[in-house]
Amino acid sequence: MVTMSEKTASVLGPTLSRRQFVKAGGALVVGFKLIGPALLKADSAKPATFKNSLDPTLGSSWVEIHPDNTILIRTGKSDFGQGSTFTAYRQIVAEELSAPFEAITTVISGDTDRTPDGSGAFDFLGHGTPNIRKAAAYTYQALLDLASEKLGVPKDKLSVKDGIVSGGGKSISYGDLVKNQQLKLTIPVKGDLTSIGGLDIEGNPPMKPVSEYTIIGKSFKNSIITSKVGAKETWATDVRLPGMLHARVVHPKTLGSTLVSAGSLDKTKFPNSQVIVKGNLVGVVAPTEWEAIQAADQVASGTKWTEWKGLPGNAKLYQHLREESDWTSAPVQKSKGSKGDVGSALESAHKKHSATYQLSYMKHAPIGPTMAVADVKPDGTVHIYTHNQNPQALRGEIAMMLRTTPDHVVVHSYPGPGHYGRSNGGNAGAEDEAVLLSQAVGKPVRVQWMRADDMQWSTQAAAAFSDVQIAIDEKGKMAAYQIDHYMPAMQDDRPVGAVLAGLPTMPAPQVHSDSVTSTVNGIEDDWIYAPVPNVMERGHGTFQVGQKASPLAVGLRDHSMRTPGQFQQNYPRELAINEAAALAGADALQFRIDHASEERIINVLKAVRDASGWDTRPSPRSDAASTGSTPLRGRGVSLMLRSGTYWACVCQIAVTPSTGAIRVEKYTIAVDPGIVVNPMQLKRNVEGGAVMGISHALFEEVMFDESGITTADWNSYPIPTMADIPEIKVVLLHNPKVGAYGGGSEAANALAAPAIAAALQDATGKVIRRLPMKPAYVQAALKS
Amino acid sequence: MVTLNVNGVRHEVSAPDDTPLLYVLRNDLELIGPQFGCGLAQCGACSVLVDGKEVRTCVTPVASVANQEIITLEGLPARWAKQKGLSADEAKSTLHPVQQAWIEEQTPQCGFCQNGMMIKATELLESNPQPTLAQIKEAFTTSGVSPNLCRCGTYVAIIEAVQHAATIMAKGR
Repeated sequence: MVTMSEKTASVLGPTLSRRQFVKAGGALVVGFKLIGPALLKADSAKPATFKNSLDPTLGSSWVEIHPDNTILIRTGKSDFGQGSTFTAYRQIVAEELSAPFEAITTVISGDTDRTPDGSGAFDFLGHGTPNIRKAAAYTYQALLDLASEKLGVPKDKLSVKDGIVSGGGKSISYGDLVKNQQLKLTIPVKGDLTSIGGLDIEGNPPMKPVSEYTIIGKSFKNSIITSKVGAKETWATDVRLPGMLHARVVHPKTLGSTLVSAGSLDKTKFPNSQVIVKGNLVGVVAPTEWEAIQAADQVASGTKWTEWKGLPGNAKLYQHLREESDWTSAPVQKSKGSKGDVGSALESAHKKHSATYQLSYMKHAPIGPTMAVADVKPDGTVHIYTHNQNPQALRGEIAMMLRTTPDHVVVHSYPGPGHYGRSNGGNAGAEDEAVLLSQAVGKPVRVQWMRADDMQWSTQAAAAFSDVQIAIDEKGKMAAYQIDHYMPAMQDDRPVGAVLAGLPTMPAPQVHSDSVTSTVNGIEDDWIYAPVPNVMERGHGTFQVGQKASPLAVGLRDHSMRTPGQFQQNYPRELAINEAAALAGADALQFRIDHASEERIINVLKAVRDASGWDTRPSPRSDAASTGSTPLRGRGVSLMLRSGTYWACVCQIAVTPSTGAIRVEKYTIAVDPGIVVNPMQLKRNVEGGAVMGISHALFEEVMFDESGITTADWNSYPIPTMADIPEIKVVLLHNPKVGAYGGGSEAANALAAPAIAAALQDATGKVIRRLPMKPAYVQAALKS
Repeated sequence: MVTLNVNGVRHEVSAPDDTPLLYVLRNDLELIGPQFGCGLAQCGACSVLVDGKEVRTCVTPVASVANQEIITLEGLPARWAKQKGLSADEAKSTLHPVQQAWIEEQTPQCGFCQNGMMIKATELLESNPQPTLAQIKEAFTTSGVSPNLCRCGTYVAIIEAVQHAATIMAKGR
């Protein structure tokens, strides 16, 4: 226990201090204390030292209890449309505090100067104990201590309902407990604020038993939906600063072109515009947005770049990955589930399945292109106004680019178009360019990427391929399963404007094993067919395509995207399992049940079987055909475990062999996340993920030639329309005995692809082992 | 100088005639409903109603809509109040049924495209108060210059919200 100058009380390790009789207001302010040397540990990718924007002993905090019984919470995680910060986080805090949901009137998220913990907008539920839950649990204990003293009743004789503490015939509200006092609860945290993971609260405060939950499990509405729908919310796109200029960036001609000469401006047409050149970064600023767009077009047409051809192009992508990429420099990763003697089992197999599966590059493709407003002040401090998934990490990256420390950078976080992982390592594009242009002109600058910039200069989900071998024994069971996953580095967190300008960034992806920006390809897809006796899962990594060849060190930059890595590993596994079931003459869903031992896996499969009207039989169906212009029907199943949540999906499709067109007619998904925190929000998240999954399966492929990305807009990168969606059925399996809440908003996008591919095999007897299943590729597979 | 009639208010704007309406609405009139999604009339995020029809402001020259009735997301509540003859006091606290339904059904995820979705829903329900599922899909897919696109995949929630809005509108409040 730390002794403080004021009166302190022990709160299970953390300390509570207070000064009584504060004249106005009073509050219980839950700050934090940093422990351990990790925070200040020098890292090649981070400045050696920096200051927090929060003083841990002052008001910047996780939870504030106010005298009027309202509660404020703060989280470094930004909302991306999942709604978790406005629904689940409120419910979790209200539950741990035994306070009404409605008492939490304010949620502050994302701003680096107003939130405590950093980290990315992923894994909101933190494997059941996100920081905000621990903070609330510590706060609850502190409130009980205060009430115990105030009421003269032992802590264990107190109970709390709706924010009122009762015991010994007396009661007091939280608001009255904190009135006229300045209370400061200090709790332990560790970590690196500007890293991808941010800070974690330490210790294990007692949590409310699940059996006593009254708030978690209810469908509370998302408050930000009300303000967005009513046109009351300020989006990042709405930020306007005094004196702000509009800018567009003229990006290089190819992903390896360097600048020969920047085009000049026709000053008679654009008298107020300026061209800014910094290395290979060319920007155009103007007082109005329309002038900036037109002036940038004119400058672009006169700008000369070197030619470059260093990419394989779509047609040779998989040949390039297989034959020309360096898979030897990054150590091969072996899964925890690997066991037994796969080699012998494959040799003595009764039947054997061997195949290769391919996944194309995919874009995050936010519905609005990325943008940012930056204001570089004369004293060198920088304010950035944007929509970002990890504002603290962005802060670190901007500080590094400017050769300063993160305390000079503030990132203000606003709602924006979801980009599904693109900025979870800090930047989404445009932020660094806005900073450099603002620095150059001495005024606030708003950089808005156009649609083509966003398609061609942002990162993408890495392409991948996997080799699978499965041995089936005489009894029709899997005797061995072997998979080798090959994927280029999946996360390049260098801000591209800084790269173009030749300014400091973290290194391009390289061989090191302690970071997501490594070339090492870890096994992300948990093995869930425990009874299979012999298993070998290996991950092989390499550099990004074009990264080393590009004179800009750019190439095809990758970034994690919704269910990163696991999407690329689960698709080949689940499609191969379907093929193995077909080879064994078994029903694909029952085949999975027969190879599972965990109750939750079996239950989620049975739930999707019942809800989808699955007819148990082997695939392909007896009347399968691969020709004709009549739609043929089939169904397939897929299964996944991610972040403590079990998922099973059935897709029923119609495919027309003569055109190769696949239409998903019915999509059924069952989800067991343990405790369902908010059924309505989870259902909506899953429905959205289902549609994105169908999009990945059928539509999405980044097209590129030897010089760069040729995908430029929604015509060249189609996503589903309302007419493309099937009947969607979501089955939520509330499973309170698990005692934790698993992640629910992310992973639904991964289930469709293998289920649709299996449905195609069911309908036609032919298998297509590449994504996306575009009509032309399907036609080719059916003719093979 | 172009004269615009936006949400019932006349504005004289000095933007060049060829300026896309979107930039005038957002930057000169400081309206935040319409969003920049593609600049190519491919997605619908920037939509408004012009004389009751859904229009993509990112490709519409400002001079081409001079003196026409422009309604943005901000103007939907007043449009409904006027259609229903609500008093000024009632109007203040009323959202358009489409907006009410969008909240009731918890439709948006990130919400960036939903401006265009609500504009399209309003256009549809004003001409067809009880659309079938096929008519809703047709409205959001083939009735405009491009489909209305949602990257978060909220189409199911949009369909349910359109049906819900139709129910609210049929009741008259």
